[in-house]
Amino acid sequence: MACEITLLFTGCPASADGFWVGASTVALCRTDGRLILFDAGPYAYRPLLLGRLKRLGLAPADIDTVVLSHLHWDTATNADLFSNADVVVHARELAYAEKPAAHDWATPPYMARALKKLRLKPVSEECDIAAGLRVVELPGHTPGSIGLVAGRELLAGDAVACARDAARGHASEWFSDGAQADASLAKALGCADLIYAGHDRPFRVGPPIAHVGDYALRIRLFVDPVGMDQEICVKSERASSFATWPE
Amino acid sequence: MVRLDLLIPGLSAKTDHFLFGICTLVLLRDGRRTILFDAGAYRVRGALIAALNAHGLAPDDIDAVYMSHLHWDHVENVDLFRNADIYVSRSEYDYTAAIAPSDWGTPPFVRDILDDLRLVLLDDREEELFPGMRTISLPGHSIGLQGLVVDTEHGKAVLAADALWSARDVVRGKPDLAFYNVEQGTASLTKLLEAGTIYYPGHDRPFRLEDGRVRYLAQSAYRLRMALQPYAEDLTCAFSTETGAALTGGLLPADRA
Repeated sequence: MACEITLLFTGCPASADGFWVGASTVALCRTDGRLILFDAGPYAYRPLLLGRLKRLGLAPADIDTVVLSHLHWDTATNADLFSNADVVVHARELAYAEKPAAHDWATPPYMARALKKLRLKPVSEECDIAAGLRVVELPGHTPGSIGLVAGRELLAGDAVACARDAARGHASEWFSDGAQADASLAKALGCADLIYAGHDRPFRVGPPIAHVGDYALRIRLFVDPVGMDQEICVKSERASSFATWPE
Repeated sequence: MVRLDLLIPGLSAKTDHFLFGICTLVLLRDGRRTILFDAGAYRVRGALIAALNAHGLAPDDIDAVYMSHLHWDHVENVDLFRNADIYVSRSEYDYTAAIAPSDWGTPPFVRDILDDLRLVLLDDREEELFPGMRTISLPGHSIGLQGLVVDTEHGKAVLAADALWSARDVVRGKPDLAFYNVEQGTASLTKLLEAGTIYYPGHDRPFRLEDGRVRYLAQSAYRLRMALQPYAEDLTCAFSTETGAALTGGLLPADRA
């Protein structure tokens, strides 16, 4: 049974001064009549997430399983939207989130308390959660980071944050164990040809590592309350010739 | 007289990928107490702590947090303030027992955030909560939004939170985001404009009105760094509200000197 993966949010490897961007990947997996959501994003996704599901003809209640790669503010915050779903999380991650380390700014201290009101299904080893969909352990970024393998594709969460980390063979950001994070990155790159990174577009492992698909981020703002909206757009697209662009 | 410091100016921007949810956070000091107005979205948690540090303060030094309302982007960091009394309007708090299904702004888990904090529930009556700081009821954006009118050396400052989402609400004479009740929101907008002379919107920079025109009192600037290529350098994009420099002559003010 082939699993069909649809991106609801394409992660973006961005950082900013003054705020944490937290533009993480959220994906929908369909296999064997099941609807499985991989990660739930930051609260800042909430109305957009609802809208994107609706555009696919889905309501939150249609999701039967939510897999949380880890329990950071930007990946696990909307899990409560899915009232009919089993919530799969690693047992070690859940135990850790009850009392996050003092230096860990990314795990909200109230995350575990809120999650416990949901239908939690902790896993403590690698296992199949649906036909052709396997949970793999990828610790290091956090104590209980997990990914989902479908054939030769991997939903990696922040064990593979972005294509650049993959190119460098080094996890640039980790909260638990850096050496373990590098080992998990290597494991991830070895078990898939196509990786859905936690904060990036999907990419082919190669070599060379190559993104699949384009990316665009639009920021709309105004500096004059009487004036017009202004928009900044940053894109990353397939290379074209400067001889023929623009038309 | 209350000393008022802007910790983080609200940001009137949106992306097609996420909501910014960067709201105005203000530090108030009356000589006895150190009070924080709103706690901000999780994504500004680090920036908030840094802004407090810049004033020689840590979260433990905050004596009171005044919550304008309980939307996600105002409440997510309130758990940082273990030593503070947390002031919340009673109607806002009661509402969180049964949040309307269409209301995505109030986190269903908001009570899990507030759970073991020292809550003080405020009734809908306006009062001088601390010397020089008066509560003002401004419902409409949410069920029981409460602002604060503060006596400062520059005049009465109205901390309006999202009853005044941005300066655009003033220009248009109606609130852009009156989620709960438009009529109430419109009345609250009129009321808050009459309550002082300096306005702190929820998601815009503070401003005064001069002959009906908005004059901003703070700037904001952000840089966004993106690792869009696996083998190359970052791309940085920046936006800023710098006061206008003469660009047409090709000379920036510094070059002219």
